[in-house]
Amino acid sequence: MTEKQTTTSAAFLATLKRDLLIAFKKKNDIVNPFMFFIIVVSLFPIGISPESDRLTEIAAGVIWISVLLASMLSMDNLYRSDFEDGSLEQLLLSPHPLFFLVLAKNISHWLVSGLPVVLVSPILAYMLALPTEAYGTLVLSLLLGTPIMSLVGSIAVALTVGLGSRGLILAVITLPMSVPVLIFGTLAVQSTLNSQSPVGYLSLMLVMLSVSVSLAPLASAAALKISVN
Amino acid sequence: MWVWFSKLGSPKWFYELSGKWLPWLIAAMVIFMTIGLVWGLVFLPPDYQQGFTSRILIVHVAVAGTSLAFFPLMLVAGTITLVWRMKLADMVAKHAAILGAWFSFITLATGSLWGSVMWGTWWEWTDSRLVSMLFQLFLLLGVISLRSALEDSETAAKACALLSIVGCINVVIIKYSVEWWNTLHQVASPVSLDPSSPNGPQFWIATLIMIVAVYLFLSVSLILSTRNEILERERRSQWVQDLVLKN
Repeated sequence: MTEKQTTTSAAFLATLKRDLLIAFKKKNDIVNPFMFFIIVVSLFPIGISPESDRLTEIAAGVIWISVLLASMLSMDNLYRSDFEDGSLEQLLLSPHPLFFLVLAKNISHWLVSGLPVVLVSPILAYMLALPTEAYGTLVLSLLLGTPIMSLVGSIAVALTVGLGSRGLILAVITLPMSVPVLIFGTLAVQSTLNSQSPVGYLSLMLVMLSVSVSLAPLASAAALKISVN
Repeated sequence: MWVWFSKLGSPKWFYELSGKWLPWLIAAMVIFMTIGLVWGLVFLPPDYQQGFTSRILIVHVAVAGTSLAFFPLMLVAGTITLVWRMKLADMVAKHAAILGAWFSFITLATGSLWGSVMWGTWWEWTDSRLVSMLFQLFLLLGVISLRSALEDSETAAKACALLSIVGCINVVIIKYSVEWWNTLHQVASPVSLDPSSPNGPQFWIATLIMIVAVYLFLSVSLILSTRNEILERERRSQWVQDLVLKN
């Protein structure tokens, strides 16, 4: 019997494909955080004011914060079911660097939970009376910011994966860490509204994204090794 | 050097050594604290602009400066926990998180007291230091709640070590991004203490004495709570039982 050799890139793609497939089979896990996002955004005009002037002011912040909250919800599924059915242990035992396998899981999580939110954001921005010229910046900032949240949040999820009842601890750990992303994301939109260039903020977010892509999976991998004995 | 280093990791050795340090540290703390507090709160002349309110700052600046030391301390302790699996480092880290949260809270409280007189408001989002201190408090509370959620103490040690390292990096990023956010949104410039104020050097000497006093207080409370933790975790070992019998 010859042992079949796999390359790391094949393992990466296999993990990505597997996670996407599972996501499509368990649609609830994708749909619920997404619905949560849309509902939270729609509650703001009811709670604060239906006047479009007021809404314009808060639009970017409301969308950004709702994205943060929704990502907390969707994040919960990142490693949990794998931990429960034992496939997480198989992942840790695999000969390939855990960095890439974790990265594949994070990418697939972003594809099913981050990307839909980014795509639907212009519609919600319209409903919150955000001026048209800021749509591009909003979408771009979300496109750069949501993967950062998936990557950084993954560390906290990995640390708490072994907990029976984890409650809101994930949010308590992760939300304070998302402050920089929130600041630059909303500043980018605001500066577009003040007819200034958002390029500076967006490039800072790009820097944060590249730093998180290279470092966060390392921390997540270490956290998984700590949580799964 | 390495013998010394691995010795330091032994709780028993630390317990004995810290027992010898403790009286000296407490004595120094009492002396500095008394001088700093009495001078700062009773004798210091009023600031030419702030009046007697400036006396709050004697305590506030010292506590605030000290509270910045906690995340670096936890970073070092966390690295030692992850690399050398030293139990002592984790015991220190556990209490550093709790003390750090208290120090951050006291910084915010004294800052609010001062702000309520000087700025006319208890809370001011435009002051970046206030906001980043708030988020440092949140991050520390996150570390504490992670530790209390994890039951297995070894897993908790390593998980909290990792979170402290991530948190320390994050606190720096938060500090600079909040500052950035502020400089652009700032409408009213908050009153800041100019180091070249015409108050003369005594204000700064008093503050310096208080900073030393608060650092000593930090070391004393950290050592005391670590000793407590050592006794609790090592309660099954022979030397702790001997110690209990002796007293």
